[in-house]
Amino acid sequence: MSSQADPKAREQAAFEPRIVALVCTWCTYAGADLAGTSRLRYAPNVRIVKVPCTGRIDPLFVLKAFEGGADGVLVSGCHPGDCHYTSGNYHARRRWAIFRRLLEVTGIDERRLFFSWVSAAEGQKFADLVNDIAEKVRAAGPFERTNPARRRP
Amino acid sequence: MNALETLRADAARLLREGRAKVVIGYRTRGKERAPVFITDASGAGSLVYDAACRQNLAAYLRKPEVRARRPAAVVASPPVMRSLVLLAAESQIGEGDVVVLAVGPPGEGGGEGVYHGALTLAETARLLKEKYALLAPRPEVLDRIKSLAAMSAEERAAFWSEALAKCTRCYACRAACPACYCTVCIVEKNVPQWISTAARPHGNYAWNLIRAFHAAGRCTGCEACEAACPQGIPLMLLNVLVAEEAAEAFGIKAGYDLDAEPLIGSWSADDEEDFIR
Repeated sequence: MSSQADPKAREQAAFEPRIVALVCTWCTYAGADLAGTSRLRYAPNVRIVKVPCTGRIDPLFVLKAFEGGADGVLVSGCHPGDCHYTSGNYHARRRWAIFRRLLEVTGIDERRLFFSWVSAAEGQKFADLVNDIAEKVRAAGPFERTNPARRRP
Repeated sequence: MNALETLRADAARLLREGRAKVVIGYRTRGKERAPVFITDASGAGSLVYDAACRQNLAAYLRKPEVRARRPAAVVASPPVMRSLVLLAAESQIGEGDVVVLAVGPPGEGGGEGVYHGALTLAETARLLKEKYALLAPRPEVLDRIKSLAAMSAEERAAFWSEALAKCTRCYACRAACPACYCTVCIVEKNVPQWISTAARPHGNYAWNLIRAFHAAGRCTGCEACEAACPQGIPLMLLNVLVAEEAAEAFGIKAGYDLDAEPLIGSWSADDEEDFIR
């Protein structure tokens, strides 16, 4: 009864996280595909954006996702040494190490922003990862109000 | 002769001997210091240098008017010297394009100031490594970064929302920064429009974060951007945060090495990845 009356609790109960996954086409996208063809169940909260390589992921992509109302963002690509273009993921790794600090200090922390390596053979890892992320973002709650990057009219 | 008189004499001599076509320095304008461009030896007497000289004169080297007058001599305190070394490392200037009129930080040498002479870029890099290798950000900035880190994410977001709400995106920070030399900046690219031009907070957030990110491993801590900001936004908090991360995680300090690899754009197989699952 009390939780029904409390608008915040009601909002939390009805909350379905929106998660944007920026993934590389060669590894994590293929891993997600494998999860699908293997009929693995995972949280339907993730929207996958396929890019040629993690090296293609400009920090602006992450900002744009949060600007558009994402509650969480996952960035994922090939394991080190596995990059289709030899070194794209190494370049990306360095970029994220720096950029995540900027997001963290301005209010977008590790409850909202995730990084992983998922290979084309790791369908199970992808499913587990997405489930775990969906759980964490759900626990963090809706980002709408406190999101510093959010586009507002 | 004291440090300032030697500096003026050197500037006049460089112009007279044709070793510099322009001397870029500071002059007095009331309580402030304004940049001055001296092309005739008789004007060298107007040069001054003290703590009120907050602008980074290396930013002028990208201007076509200055490029046409190379070699240019630049009055440079240690952070400005670092900017010059950075520009050389990024192939924006070469040895022979500039003469560095190297001055110590204001207050060094008992208030009189220290003048190290008219140096080449190689000599400047050597001087920086020998004498100014331990240039650290102001303790107040480090303290504020620490207190931000102790806040919750919501409090941090609130702090920055308030600080960045004042931004009018005049891009004075960009104009003041010698490292911001792209002829077409990301904010001017509109296919697609990555950073909103609307007078709304989300564009302020995106711009200020991306500006700090594009200066990653390149900011030399001169604080000219913060001094130029008409709204008093604490830009150095973001710059120093990134610079500390660059130094701690990757051992990169901008503007000390003429052959330095860029932080973003190079990599190592054993870069940190404890944040990646």
